Amino acid sequence: MRARVIVVAVAVCVACEAPVPHAPPAKLTGVRVVDLIPVSLSGETWQDAEPFLALYAANPQLMAASAFTPNPGGSASATAPIFVSDDGGDSWTLRNTLPSQGMTADITHAVGGNPPVLYAGIMKVPGFPLNELKASDFLSPATMMLQSSRADIDQPFVRTTGVGSADRVYIGLNDFDAPDGRTATVDVSLNGGATYTSRRIETRGTLGQNGPSIRPAVAQDHTVYVAYFGWRSQTGSDVTSDVVVVRDDSGASGATPFRDLLDPSDHLPGRLVATHVTIPWSNAPTLGQERIGSTLAIAVDALHSDNVYVAWADRVGTGDIYTVHVRRSTDRGATWSGDLRTLTNATDASLAVSTNGTAGLLYQQVTGTGSTSRWVTRLEQSRDGFATHQDVVLATVPAATPTFQFLPYIGDYNGLLARGNQFLGIFSANNTPDSTNFPQGVVYQRRVDFPTHRLLDGSGAAVAVSIDPFFFSVPVLP
Amino acid sequence: MYTRSAVLLAVTLSLLGSPAPASAQGARAALVKQSDIIFIGTVTKVGAVAVPEVPASDRTIVVRVDQVLEKPAAVALTPGDSVTVQTVRPGSLKAGTQATFYTTGWIFGRGVAVREVGHEPGRSPVVAAVQQQAVARARLDVNDADLKAHIQKAAMVVAGRVEQVRPAELAAAAARPKRITEHDPNWQEAIIQVQDGIKGAQAGQQVVVRFPGSPDVAWVGTPKFAVGQEGTFLLHVDSTTGSPLSMIAGRSVPAYTALHRLDVLPKQDAPRIRSLIRKP
Repeated sequence: MRARVIVVAVAVCVACEAPVPHAPPAKLTGVRVVDLIPVSLSGETWQDAEPFLALYAANPQLMAASAFTPNPGGSASATAPIFVSDDGGDSWTLRNTLPSQGMTADITHAVGGNPPVLYAGIMKVPGFPLNELKASDFLSPATMMLQSSRADIDQPFVRTTGVGSADRVYIGLNDFDAPDGRTATVDVSLNGGATYTSRRIETRGTLGQNGPSIRPAVAQDHTVYVAYFGWRSQTGSDVTSDVVVVRDDSGASGATPFRDLLDPSDHLPGRLVATHVTIPWSNAPTLGQERIGSTLAIAVDALHSDNVYVAWADRVGTGDIYTVHVRRSTDRGATWSGDLRTLTNATDASLAVSTNGTAGLLYQQVTGTGSTSRWVTRLEQSRDGFATHQDVVLATVPAATPTFQFLPYIGDYNGLLARGNQFLGIFSANNTPDSTNFPQGVVYQRRVDFPTHRLLDGSGAAVAVSIDPFFFSVPVLP
Repeated sequence: MYTRSAVLLAVTLSLLGSPAPASAQGARAALVKQSDIIFIGTVTKVGAVAVPEVPASDRTIVVRVDQVLEKPAAVALTPGDSVTVQTVRPGSLKAGTQATFYTTGWIFGRGVAVREVGHEPGRSPVVAAVQQQAVARARLDVNDADLKAHIQKAAMVVAGRVEQVRPAELAAAAARPKRITEHDPNWQEAIIQVQDGIKGAQAGQQVVVRFPGSPDVAWVGTPKFAVGQEGTFLLHVDSTTGSPLSMIAGRSVPAYTALHRLDVLPKQDAPRIRSLIRKP
């Protein structure tokens, strides 16, 4: 019998859910968790944080993934790597195909309509300019082709859709050269990245800029939603922000895109999903060695674009460090629910909606304190707006070890997507080969010795614990 | 083009045999400079691959590793492993040939695939110990050449001690608008007391060195400074922050940076640096 834990969420309890340790749920049939580091890099000890995933609808065997994984050849190498899988995520290889010196300073990517085309937005090393890239065949060893580049941006976040034979590419980014401090921007390409147009989506006053996270989501009817933080004022390290969603009903193909959703309070484009939230901006280890301040996610039901979910994190002020909120609209963003989920001391929320309308929420939460604290990575699924949800713990690992090498520790974001009857995603975590850390099971490609909980290099010598990226798949609720 | 040069160098090396004269050692250093995985191996198959992730072609060969001479620590590569090599030229190596392979990592999966920079056939069988020594010497030559070039670019080279670290106050006119980003360098200034002025400075002098205090991934490889730290520092005129001047005791002074890993070396490297400066 399929083991399943259904958490009946009483609204009051949901709103005040505390990060108390509890026994992980039973193993769920059909869940896969795979450490991406290949066996030929078994000596790897880098902090492979901030993972991301791209999937092909037309070929479920092909996937691309990334993290802050360096070229094994070293920092002087002319290229940086991505991971690719051609067997549905069971195994991964690392290929040095990104035109960035050794590593990137940010990277996301998404697929084109025709496999194996891949688009990527990176902050290139050195200098950190935006590079908008394309690979006609991401399995090819050829370096990805540069399509557009400019300086002074942050957190490029790539989404794509196909219209006829043309790929449309939407890259949310924080463009510091945008006028009037309205920096929330989407670079839109309607022709497979041949040309991009920067679309400014903030219409209100800011403190001089928006937050770094600008997240697009695209439905099959070409509705495009974008979530961003409207940063209004700052006191010390705390930013007072609105959580804003804009919408375009025609794929941002018009002359004045992202103006189809007005807020009733001021009739300006951009619905205010939440106002005056406190964003604790910290570029120091703050939550389980992780920095905080930019968690934001959006997902649309690809087949029913009326349904859209948003997740963000802020500081509620009840003794929390950082709290994730999830809300939903069922009328194209016109009205929004209250918090469907409120998750204390959590970050890296990612959302996806499957073809049967099931919402998936991936997040990483710190439980416990000090040396016994743990990063718990969960996927929740719900068919009823999170009134009830299935809760799967993918990993529960020490949060105090290994010591951070840099920030982000596990990532300013991770990745969750839906395809067919699967949620597919990626997260980063402590890579100790201990089965109790991975309640759903785990497969390592790199050499490990489970009985002694040791990582091994090619010669069988012990390797230090580090942060690795983990791919996972979870069956969608039927 | 480096691949063509590499072939010519490899041919030169193969004709010269061992021990290599200075020109051959220079040629070897040119190969080493471009390589991150170097091994002695024996070609077992041509037009073939050892890993499924790489398509076989007339430029791919399978090489059995006889001895690893250099590799990154992360890479699992041991004698007996079969490596897929994409050669510079098709048909350049035949089955049974033993050679030293100078390569860069290409694809890492169930096995390792590398791209050949060049190879050094030498005499068969290759004497591993001799070759190991030759490659190690070539690596030292490469490192010295890199460091010498870096010294030449530096405005100042000093041995000294960090006396103070403070937030950088960048000139308002030159400073860009304050941007809140996780990649913000968070510029800091280290005040270094010069104990030995090796180039462009004198003992007793104080210099201001700017560095990113940020723990962000974008600055992960950039040297950081701490009070009490001693070292040999290669300093460059600050052309990064947009604010070329700083202050010491009320005096306006040039600001420097040390952003490359070679800019911060152990104090005991000072004699080596002096030697490199003197070297023609």
